[in-house]
Amino acid sequence: MGRIAFARIAPNEDLVQSVEKFCMAQGFKNAFVRGALGSLVDACISTANGQSRHITGPALEVVSLGGEVRTGPDGALRAALSGVVADMQGNLVGGPFVSGGNLVCMTFEVTLEEWLPERASV
Amino acid sequence: MTPQPALNTSPHTLQHPGPVSSLRINSRSGAGSRHFRLQLEPGLSLFDALVQPLAKVGVQSAGMVIFGGYFERLDYCVGQVDPTQNALFNYAAPRQAGAAYMMAGNATLGKTHDGLPAVHCHAALRTQAGEVKGGHIVTEASIVGAQPLVVLVTAFDDFELRVTFDAETNISLFQPHHEKVHA
Repeated sequence: MGRIAFARIAPNEDLVQSVEKFCMAQGFKNAFVRGALGSLVDACISTANGQSRHITGPALEVVSLGGEVRTGPDGALRAALSGVVADMQGNLVGGPFVSGGNLVCMTFEVTLEEWLPERASV
Repeated sequence: MTPQPALNTSPHTLQHPGPVSSLRINSRSGAGSRHFRLQLEPGLSLFDALVQPLAKVGVQSAGMVIFGGYFERLDYCVGQVDPTQNALFNYAAPRQAGAAYMMAGNATLGKTHDGLPAVHCHAALRTQAGEVKGGHIVTEASIVGAQPLVVLVTAFDDFELRVTFDAETNISLFQPHHEKVHA
C-alpha cells in the first residue's frame, strides 16, 4: 500500500466520477476505499441483468460503501463502487453505483488508500 | 471491469442556499498512514469508544470502517427537508433501534472548529424488532453491547479533518486542512 488521502465532495458532483477525479488529483493510479459516507440526491445502481435501477431521494444516506479505483489498459481511471443507501424512511437498497447517476446531496467524505501493484508478491 | 449500464433517468441537481464554491473536490493526502485494529469497549458510547483509545495513540483524524456487532442501544437519524429552510435538508428526530445489530458502518473522525473531537457515522443496522434500517448514527447516545466491535482505522497524520462552515449548503461539515488546531 502507498499513500492515504481524504476528500470532501461537494453537492451535485457525481460520486463515481468524483472518486476518479480525486485519484487523479492525488496522482493515485490505483486505490482502495477505506471508508466513505455521505448523502445523494437520488441513487442509481446496476442490476444483475445489466440494467440500472433508480432510487428516488432526496437526501439518501449512503450507509456503507466499498470499492476500488483501477487504471485500465487505456490509461483511464475507473472506480468500481458498491454500497447501501437509506431513504428518508431508513429503508435500505444496495448495489454497484452507476457512473453519472449518483449526485452528492449535501456532502460526501471518502478515504482512499493507494494500491501499488508492482509491490505485490502475488 | 463490468460495463456500466445506461442511466434510465436523468440525474438532477439541487440548488443550495449559498454560493456555489469553485472547489468541488477538496482533497489532501499523506505519505503514509498508521492503521489500527480497534476494539470498541462494551458499555461505552460509540463516540467515546472511538475517540478515547485513538486519542491515546495520537490519532485525531481518521477514516474508519466498523464491522458488525451488537449495541445495547442504537439511535439513528434519517434525512428530512429542513423545516427551518436554513439548509435544504437536515436530520429528523432520532429513532431508537433498541438493542440492535450494526451490520456495517463507516465513520470519519476529526475535530470541531475549536479542536474538540468530532465523529460522523453512518451505518446499516437490524433493529431490536428485526427490521433492516440505516442512517446517520447518534454516536453519543449509542452504547456498545456486551461484545466488542472491531473497527479498521486509517489514521491521517499529515493533515486533519475539521468541522468547517460551508456557505454553499449553509451547514458545518468535515473538510481537510493542512494546518492543525488544538483545543
